[in-house]
Amino acid sequence: MDFLLKGFQAIGDNPKMIAMWIIGGLLIYLAIKKDMEPALLLPMGFGAILVNLPLSPVVDEHGIIASLFQVGIAASEAMPLLLFIGIGCMIDFGPLLTNPKLFILGGAAQLGIFITIILAAMIGFPLNDAASIGIIGAADGPTAILVAQKVMSNYLGPIMVVAYSYMALVPIVQPAVVKLCTTKKERLIKMKYSAKQIPKLMRILFPIIVTICSGLIAPDSLSLVGMLMFGNLIRECGVLKSLSETAQTTFSNIITLLLGITIAFQMQADQFLQLETLIIMVLGLFAFVFDTVGGVMCAKLMNLFSKEKINPMLGAAGISAFPMAARVVEKMSIKEDPSNHLLMHAVGANVSGQIASAIVGGLIIGILFPGL
Amino acid sequence: MLHLLLAFENLNPMNWEVIKPALNFLWQGLLAIFVVIGLIILAVKLTAFCINKATEAKKRREEAQNAETPESDS
Repeated sequence: MDFLLKGFQAIGDNPKMIAMWIIGGLLIYLAIKKDMEPALLLPMGFGAILVNLPLSPVVDEHGIIASLFQVGIAASEAMPLLLFIGIGCMIDFGPLLTNPKLFILGGAAQLGIFITIILAAMIGFPLNDAASIGIIGAADGPTAILVAQKVMSNYLGPIMVVAYSYMALVPIVQPAVVKLCTTKKERLIKMKYSAKQIPKLMRILFPIIVTICSGLIAPDSLSLVGMLMFGNLIRECGVLKSLSETAQTTFSNIITLLLGITIAFQMQADQFLQLETLIIMVLGLFAFVFDTVGGVMCAKLMNLFSKEKINPMLGAAGISAFPMAARVVEKMSIKEDPSNHLLMHAVGANVSGQIASAIVGGLIIGILFPGL
Repeated sequence: MLHLLLAFENLNPMNWEVIKPALNFLWQGLLAIFVVIGLIILAVKLTAFCINKATEAKKRREEAQNAETPESDS
């Protein structure tokens, strides 16, 4: 009868697996009950249970999860990059093209990434892990996966879980930080939005311009920025409507689903249950907070030199959690003054953050690890 | 705090060899991102300017053609 008890005996040898079932269950709970990034947390949660069953064949050399990980992430980071095509198709850069200076907020809202890298280095993480932890502040799952994988971080699993969990916590984290950094008077600043008709040619040229500019200065960001902009070109060209719709919905959903369950490969108990995971959670929060501070402070700085004042809350929308960060700013502005609608400006800052975080991801790989 | 961190056996706190490149990275990274963004803003503004000029020129040509057409009819 021993063959019936093999699984139980294996659990006795590695009881950490039970803790991973609980974590998997928690992720599933958050996805279903709290509606936190369900497309990703649900497969990740189920995957966490799947890979932590004793003698699980899915993580063997030729197991399905191991193979998906090798092909979809380890070999070429194909899954996160393909997801960027879908994201590019979803984004309307119109509000950003209407007011290009919002781009600056997207850049400033990456400050938390760099500060967190320094902090993680001071705490004692090796540079590759520090960089991967800092990139949690990009508030962009695919970028975090790509950087962590590319620099061979030992903490890919925890980084993924923290990155996606905090993205879902943006509506809780950001309002508190914004309120701390701004005065009531600043939050009441009204901004006009002139819905200019952006010429189709401009919309088509924009993804090409961004790809060339990023490629010239930050060539390592090309895989991320290139896929994002390729997706956007599909959207804006006007002759691939069905492809664009497919990329925004079915294609993105399938990749997200596969990505979620594939990431679970990195959630095996021995790799995941480390004390460092707790530090990564704290540092991830730190990165989000300082991104928001960076964006808000930059907006305040811009107000010193600009006639048309910017509502500093827009700086918070500069992080790339799209479209959540923009919605948070809109909600906050309406709460302060029901007639003050900042949504379109916030979307402009938000999509600029999407581009900026992809560029920063490439910069991190390129500057720290030029040989990769 | 340092003692607490030392309890994590995989970590090596306050290692200047790691901190120094991380500090360099702060200014290099921020400079690079703002240079890229500046370049994109410039390119976008320039493209928008060219497109506007081309559109205006096209309008003027069309207006001129429209103005010429009734004369040739008469």
